[in-house]
Amino acid sequence: METAAETEILDLDEMDQAEWNEYAFEQGWGDGFPLVMPTEDLVEKFVATCHGDNEPLPAMSPRRVIPTLQAMAANAVMAGARPEYFPAILAAARAVLDPAYNLHGSLATTHSCAPMVLLNGPIREQLNVNCASNCFGQGRQANATIGRALQLILMNVGGAKPGVMDRSTQGTPAKYAFCFGENEEESPWEPFHVRQGYGAEDSVVTAIPSEAPHNINDHASTSGIGILTTIAGTISQPGANAIYCNAPVFLILGPEHAQTLHRDGWTIADMQADLFKRSALHISKVSKENQVSYEEMERPLVNDYYPMVPTPEDIHILVAGGPGKHSAYIPPFGFTAACSVRIAHV
Amino acid sequence: MRIVNPSFGEEAPGNEQVVANSVDWSKDPIILFSNSKPNAKELLEGLRDKMSAYRNTDNIDYTLKDSPAQPAAEGMYDELAGKYRAAILAIAD
Repeated sequence: METAAETEILDLDEMDQAEWNEYAFEQGWGDGFPLVMPTEDLVEKFVATCHGDNEPLPAMSPRRVIPTLQAMAANAVMAGARPEYFPAILAAARAVLDPAYNLHGSLATTHSCAPMVLLNGPIREQLNVNCASNCFGQGRQANATIGRALQLILMNVGGAKPGVMDRSTQGTPAKYAFCFGENEEESPWEPFHVRQGYGAEDSVVTAIPSEAPHNINDHASTSGIGILTTIAGTISQPGANAIYCNAPVFLILGPEHAQTLHRDGWTIADMQADLFKRSALHISKVSKENQVSYEEMERPLVNDYYPMVPTPEDIHILVAGGPGKHSAYIPPFGFTAACSVRIAHV
Repeated sequence: MRIVNPSFGEEAPGNEQVVANSVDWSKDPIILFSNSKPNAKELLEGLRDKMSAYRNTDNIDYTLKDSPAQPAAEGMYDELAGKYRAAILAIAD
């Protein structure tokens, strides 16, 4: 059997699914779940969805090799994706390759982060992306396999092998797959991608290295200010990278919380301003050693409070999920940005 | 059967490896390089103290990059490579 990593096409002995999985795991290509065989004909179906996309790709960290469409498509096949998902997967790969994303740092860090992949625009309906109930969870092929494909690309092409170049202390379940869509239809505000300057009819992928979602339960508050009080308290935590690493955070409002906030007249900018102020962490919650460390890092300390983000605009707010009194806070890795790419070939 | 190698990638320009000349650890200038994580400086300074038992440490200097989560500033490695014969890195926690 040929195993040379430098060869794009591998000529292997015939094998059944079980033998293939054993072989793939031996090669270090797997995430622990079964993998679909990336046969040449299957890969070509994926690549065909992106013909004409000739924009060069930069080298992918940490291995520093330039990805090919074929190799990325092979990972998409292995992830169990459908060919029509591949333009979104390719756009997600382009997003994480944006220098502002800080791919090398996010893959080699000891922090437990993974690429959060947010989908906006018509592609959500075209690919049957879950934007509503259980949107961060299991059950929808697009969410599961777009997120998984990106992870496999970063692991196999990028070389972010767990315990080798991926040095995460504990990892996160988000490293298996972390992809969802905004529930634009139930949002009282403009969709996230429109606020970033894209057209409503554009399909856009946004990626940021982040932790898995942290739930924000608030069943009792019946006012916008009450809900924001709970959210501010959830963001304000001493163990977050955000306290010493400049980066935006994501607040994913459940539709019911969003409706209450909108009813009470809260705009996106108003919420950002309020949360920026009230999520700042009081110095009494920070250990003496960390206070010294933050001082050495020249982190801002304003009237005995550490801001959790550099500016109010770094609190990105959007709506996803279904019925229920829950929202989610998605803390970032750090020294990163939310990078958006318009999905071509939709 | 023929499959597409999922770990294939093309060599990026500038990835060429160079072989450095050997280092004389008893006298060559050394840079102690911290990734700026907490305690990295103390670790490196402890190494310098240990080395003082067998060599002059006047040409052993300390530096750090701005953030553990970000790459070093453009040109920093080239500048250090031109000034020192070896580097001792504190790259993890």
